[in-house]
Amino acid sequence: MILFVLTWIFVWFEASSWAAPLESLFPKKDLPEGWTLAEGPQTYTKKTLFERINGEAELFFKYGFQKSVFAIYQNKKNRENQVELDIYDMGNVLQAFGVFSRFRNEDRPGGFGLDSFLDDHSALFYEGKYFVMLYAPEANQEILRQFSKLISLKISDPSPPPREISYFPKSGLKPGSIQYFPEGLLGHQFLKRGFQGTYVEKAEDEKKVEVEDKDKTKTGDKELKLFLAIFQNSQMAINALKEFRDDLSKKGKASSGSIIEFEAKALKGEDPYQGKVMVVQKGFYLLGVAGFEKEEDGENRLAEFMREVK
Amino acid sequence: MFSEKIGRRNFLKRVSSALLGIATVPIWKASPASEKTEKAPAVEFRTLGKTGLKVTAVSMGVMNCSDASVLLRAFDLGINFYDTADCYMNGRNEEMVGKAFEGKRQKVFIQTKVHVHDEKKMRASVERSLRRLRTDYIDVLVWHDHSSPNEVSDPKLFEFMAKLKKEGKVRFTGFSAHSHMAPLLREAAKSNLHDVALVSYNFTHSKGLKEAVALAAQSGIGIVAMKTQAGGYKKEKMGGLSPHQAALKYILRDQNVSAAVPGVTTIEQIEQCAAVMGASLSRNNLNELEQYQSFLQGRICTMCGGCQGECPYGVLHTDLLRAVMYHEGYENDSLVRESLLRIHGQDIERCSECSSCSVVCRRGLDVKAQIKMAQALMVRGSERIVRS
Repeated sequence: MILFVLTWIFVWFEASSWAAPLESLFPKKDLPEGWTLAEGPQTYTKKTLFERINGEAELFFKYGFQKSVFAIYQNKKNRENQVELDIYDMGNVLQAFGVFSRFRNEDRPGGFGLDSFLDDHSALFYEGKYFVMLYAPEANQEILRQFSKLISLKISDPSPPPREISYFPKSGLKPGSIQYFPEGLLGHQFLKRGFQGTYVEKAEDEKKVEVEDKDKTKTGDKELKLFLAIFQNSQMAINALKEFRDDLSKKGKASSGSIIEFEAKALKGEDPYQGKVMVVQKGFYLLGVAGFEKEEDGENRLAEFMREVK
Repeated sequence: MFSEKIGRRNFLKRVSSALLGIATVPIWKASPASEKTEKAPAVEFRTLGKTGLKVTAVSMGVMNCSDASVLLRAFDLGINFYDTADCYMNGRNEEMVGKAFEGKRQKVFIQTKVHVHDEKKMRASVERSLRRLRTDYIDVLVWHDHSSPNEVSDPKLFEFMAKLKKEGKVRFTGFSAHSHMAPLLREAAKSNLHDVALVSYNFTHSKGLKEAVALAAQSGIGIVAMKTQAGGYKKEKMGGLSPHQAALKYILRDQNVSAAVPGVTTIEQIEQCAAVMGASLSRNNLNELEQYQSFLQGRICTMCGGCQGECPYGVLHTDLLRAVMYHEGYENDSLVRESLLRIHGQDIERCSECSSCSVVCRRGLDVKAQIKMAQALMVRGSERIVRS
């Protein structure tokens, strides 16, 4: 009995320690030298988030927004030199990653959080259930890094990154391109939620030269996507595969019937907007590749992906 | 999920062979895209106020869009006006629009936004938008979220926009607003500084806003309606109700609205929205909206079927609730009469005997209070019969 109570206390303590009030994550006394809190912290809920970020609030709601806190810091010597900070509680690490993945516009890791983005004016990262955004109207990458690290240290949510990220093969993966969508994966309602990553297919040398002559800025490299749609159970994944087939039959090209014997079901076709696609059902997942040129490349990519998906 | 007997290696080999098989064996049964007999929606164009731009009545809010394919589908459906913003997804949203419409720029109108700041920063923001959108002009640039009439008539802000117009970077300008829309629109109608107003406008809004929209439209301001779906909803949370199309039709019935920009995420949603063009608002649509509104407000029964518990006397409470819904929501007397005719006077008497109702609404609707309203309606109905 005593052991049970102690275990319960331990579990409760662990859980509550990383569910600390959002406001406590804001740097207050431990600020970088010469910096002070100028405004806030101001808390926003589902009802008031519009007041802070206008229409963009809708995107956060799709990712399970719980609440957020906003504050402005400023340099004591130069009051124009400011840092705006938003910390969003997104409910869980998957949703925090999801919203982070929609905001990161290229791979510029800053070395904080579970993954991050840093440039002269902005820093973004996610850690545990939190998504953190910092903005400096005056370019100041170093101070953005310092603030980010400070906040990251205060977050004690130990959640690891969503495991699905690790399913995406590393070879050819465009850094920072994996995204999570809570709905409308690949623009399709029937695919519901899932991940996608962009891969770069290097152009053959001859082709590359040809393209470079026309447009110096383009390399001729082609991009394709791997995607992983997640369903509640395998039957729902099979149903979605059928919907995908129906959609391709109506708007593009689709093969008929199941092409895989045994347990897996698969689909091959051409989507009017995504290009050539191959999709395989594996348990409660649909795994797919879209936008490839050569059949062989698509097949190899998909086979590699299937090996990774546990 | 995975047959242990087959083994992963063999399984993958078979999967791979099967896929390869498809590549070599001509088993395609589908016909080429050009032969598809897809029915295209009727496209309705409206003039965007004094800009003179002919925009599609159903246009597209890009903000929540998950994939460029949705934009391309919208384009194929004939939609020509797209609303994005500098800040959406840290600029990624504008990038998606730019990439999707590269080579199609002359066929679409792009609206984006700028925040009020000092001139240097505003100019930098516009330049960034141009780069991301892969264009050298923005069709409509609007101030992001004005909230006071002073901002709407600020000559300094107007001056900045005028400079951009002169430089050819922006064709038309305006403002967006999420709150206090009516006073802002009235001010805009007076000040004559704006070509376009992007305002939150849907079936839940007041008559006051409708009048302000009319006033602004009459002054030549092109009205673009956003939040037309009243904040979005999940079909499964609403007993299967899907009032997307009804909400859009409702707002487009107001001819003072030049375009609606519903925020869509998927191809299926934009197809659903586009199909609204040229369609009229039916009685069913009105019913859907009433149910949706009551869902939003938790005020009246939506007939969602989620009642918990039963009446011990077997009173069909749903008939009573329906009568209230028709009265409160639809304000439709004939429907109220029809429902009341199905109710036996005895039932109502039985309801009077209970201090509280054993039927519980999962949305927190006070069922007893609703039944009291139904009783009042019955009394009023019988008084009318006596009088006549």
